[in-house]
Amino acid sequence: MRHRTAAHTISRTTSVAVIALVTATVLAACGGQESAAPETSTVRLLAHDSFVVSEDLIAELKADTGITLEILSGSDAGTMVAGAVLAAGSPTADVMFGIDNTLLSRALDASVFEAYTSPELGSVVPALREDTGGGFVTPIDYGDVCINIDNAAMDAVGVPAPTTLDDLIDPRYRDLLVVQDPGTSSPGLAFLLATIARYGDGWPEYWSALRENGVSVAGSWTDAYYGEFSGGGEGTRPLVVSYATSPPAEIVYAEEPKPTTPSTSVMTDGCYRQVEYAGVLAGTANPAGARTVVDWLLSEQVQADVPLSMFVFPAREGVALPEVFTAFAATVDEPLSLPADEVAANLQAWLAEWGTAMGR
Amino acid sequence: MTVHTVPTWLRWSWVIPAAFLAVFLLYPLTVLAVTVTSQTSGGLLAALTAPSLWLVAVLAAVQAAASTLLALILGLPLANVVSRYRFRGRALAQALVTVPFVLPTVVVGLAFRSLFGSGLPQGFWLVVLAHAYVNLAVVARIVGAQWAQHSGDYENVARTLGATRWRAFVDVTLPSLRSAIVASAAIVFVFSFTSLGIVLLLGDATTRTLESQILRQTSVILDFPGAAATAIVQLLVVTLVLLLGAAAARRSPTRRSAPLDLRPMPASVTGRIAVRATAALGALVVLAPVLALVLASLRGARGWTLGWWTSLGSIDAGTTRLGPPLDAIGISVAYALATAVVAAIVGGLAALTAVSSGRARVVALVAIIPLGVSAATIGLGTLLAFGRPPFDLRASGLLIPIAHALVAVPLVVAVAAPGLRSTDTRLAAVAATLGARPTRAFWTAYGTVIRVVMLASAALAGAVSLGEFGAAAFLGRATDPTVPVQIVRLLGRPGEQSLGVAAALAVVLVAVTLILVLIVDRWGSTERRQHRERALS
Repeated sequence: MRHRTAAHTISRTTSVAVIALVTATVLAACGGQESAAPETSTVRLLAHDSFVVSEDLIAELKADTGITLEILSGSDAGTMVAGAVLAAGSPTADVMFGIDNTLLSRALDASVFEAYTSPELGSVVPALREDTGGGFVTPIDYGDVCINIDNAAMDAVGVPAPTTLDDLIDPRYRDLLVVQDPGTSSPGLAFLLATIARYGDGWPEYWSALRENGVSVAGSWTDAYYGEFSGGGEGTRPLVVSYATSPPAEIVYAEEPKPTTPSTSVMTDGCYRQVEYAGVLAGTANPAGARTVVDWLLSEQVQADVPLSMFVFPAREGVALPEVFTAFAATVDEPLSLPADEVAANLQAWLAEWGTAMGR
Repeated sequence: MTVHTVPTWLRWSWVIPAAFLAVFLLYPLTVLAVTVTSQTSGGLLAALTAPSLWLVAVLAAVQAAASTLLALILGLPLANVVSRYRFRGRALAQALVTVPFVLPTVVVGLAFRSLFGSGLPQGFWLVVLAHAYVNLAVVARIVGAQWAQHSGDYENVARTLGATRWRAFVDVTLPSLRSAIVASAAIVFVFSFTSLGIVLLLGDATTRTLESQILRQTSVILDFPGAAATAIVQLLVVTLVLLLGAAAARRSPTRRSAPLDLRPMPASVTGRIAVRATAALGALVVLAPVLALVLASLRGARGWTLGWWTSLGSIDAGTTRLGPPLDAIGISVAYALATAVVAAIVGGLAALTAVSSGRARVVALVAIIPLGVSAATIGLGTLLAFGRPPFDLRASGLLIPIAHALVAVPLVVAVAAPGLRSTDTRLAAVAATLGARPTRAFWTAYGTVIRVVMLASAALAGAVSLGEFGAAAFLGRATDPTVPVQIVRLLGRPGEQSLGVAAALAVVLVAVTLILVLIVDRWGSTERRQHRERALS
């Protein structure tokens, strides 16, 4: 009897222990899911087509924080933001990268982002440090949209390369420029905004003058650069709207042995500054992981990777730039820009007015 | 008349396509509509009555009509030659015709630019030319499928009775092809009317489409009511055209016929020359932009180079920093196969409803409507419906083949329905009188047609998937781009390597397409031969 009782007691104790253990494990598992313990979480990063980051940095993120990064493609920045605005509050990812200053206020109005101030923000260059959409986004990189010049073709025309926006309406530069439709192209829109920032209410007259001077309007950057610009491929026009970092890209993506100087250069007047941000998407199931990824994007390693991955400048202060950047990327001292809310409020009217000025 | 030979299960063939469309088209569109109306107050009516919207619609319709006419003028002779006569290189010529259809539009645009130079006036005619080029396959495949079944006996009768060749063609051949011609014309019109990439690349102020307007409205100014109005007008116009096309196809006389074998070359020398010349000319037209691509893939700033081809395997030349550009081929082929299977099943069952009696026929009509829903609308709807909890399919990789299948299903129906409708049902009746069960009798009559038509449409569906860009760029994972996405990304950055590698990748895409289509075509002709042998024995 005693034995039996003892055995019984033991078996009861064992069952209780087993149940307790199972319960504890289940609770721990559930709890783990709810608090998104960084050990095993996946963070979905929604990014535009041009987002690139080196594989070892993704592996490093995983090693340091346990986060598996899944990068979702949002097509171009505009389409990505449109999707995010419609999905606001119940997002399709945890964090978004690549929204720029022309689109930002639309996303803020739609409450796309959750407030977050990264501890890394203090390391951002002073000019961009305040640029957080009121504490909702974090600046990650910036670049300038500028007129690019095909040096050889410009020489062949026999006039000096233009140096200001005003030059572009000079008859000496007739039929030499190709721009992009601001209604379908991001650099095209940036260039339109540059002219609005420069000429104020007089910008439609500037565009009428450009039109009279034979400007060509392409549907996309690709069509302008590879189709009509003489420096990109088959085109005949020596002037194109592109980026201040296009000349270094021309070297990086050239055949070996690489040329020592790029064949294109940049007109540093009339450039429009684009800042790209990252933000935690409101309603994410993994806010902790999303914040960690924002911090990671601003970390020294990722910021050092940004120039050669995306051909933009890192937002972080004091990040060493690759030689091809320091040598050939144009430094724009006085970039043009417009307040985000002004852009959002007027964009539709500006595009319509642009259409009228261009006879479209 | 066919009541006794229609198996019971055929009456239920509409269930799967109807369910597919309800889940993957209607549900996402509903979610999108609810989201947009809850976020924005009004504006839809004002946008619908804006004159600029209707002006764009009219301009796009004129452009689409011209594109359709040119595609028919170029495509009909090709359909005749390539799908009927036996000659060396026929299979290759038939496969080549599919190539323009899969080339990403950005590639077609740049190839046309480099072919016609900056000297040629941009705009309307260049866009029409490019649309006709891209849609050659639609005309050649759909009309060819029917022409292949056309024996030519009635023309011989007409000729014996003294009709000229032209009269015989106009009075006998054309009417018997009418349903296929109308079906393909409707589709080419719709593709041209809703075109985006080519219009952006080659168009000017007069060649806008509603689709390009929608892109502007969603992605640049985030004017969702305006975009919704534009999308509604586009859907209305396209549905109207497709319904008119379906009605016209239905009214046309269909001669019952069984699939025929290819015929020998014409006896006369001029006839033979005409067949060869048409095929050669067609191949040349198709290949000219491809040759431009081949040249671009071999040229660098310092002359000829193989560097871009060797870069296809290098991670540094890619756009992901995770894998070489060539990885995209495997991803694209996997999506294409998945799309072909899904579209052939869903579209095939939808097409079968066209031959069944009763109300289920409506499904065959409804199944072609996705062609009219703007790509941006489908993309946004799918994202909202299936890109987040509770139905997050994004990680599964299914969203892209599903979106591709939505575009491909209408094509499958268009290819399959005319062939099925004109199948000789007397075979089934004979089999039934000989005591065959309905399913067996049905299979006797339709088996070969179904297999042949399904293969042809699976090839077309695979081609749609191989060339598609928008959904793949919007619904995929950035780390595994398809070939078109990889190409567009390469062409989105400066540098001769970007252009060269993009061109090489486009050439690879052409080669992969050719191989896939050749395999499927060979399979189809084997089916046909076996059928003929069975019939003879």
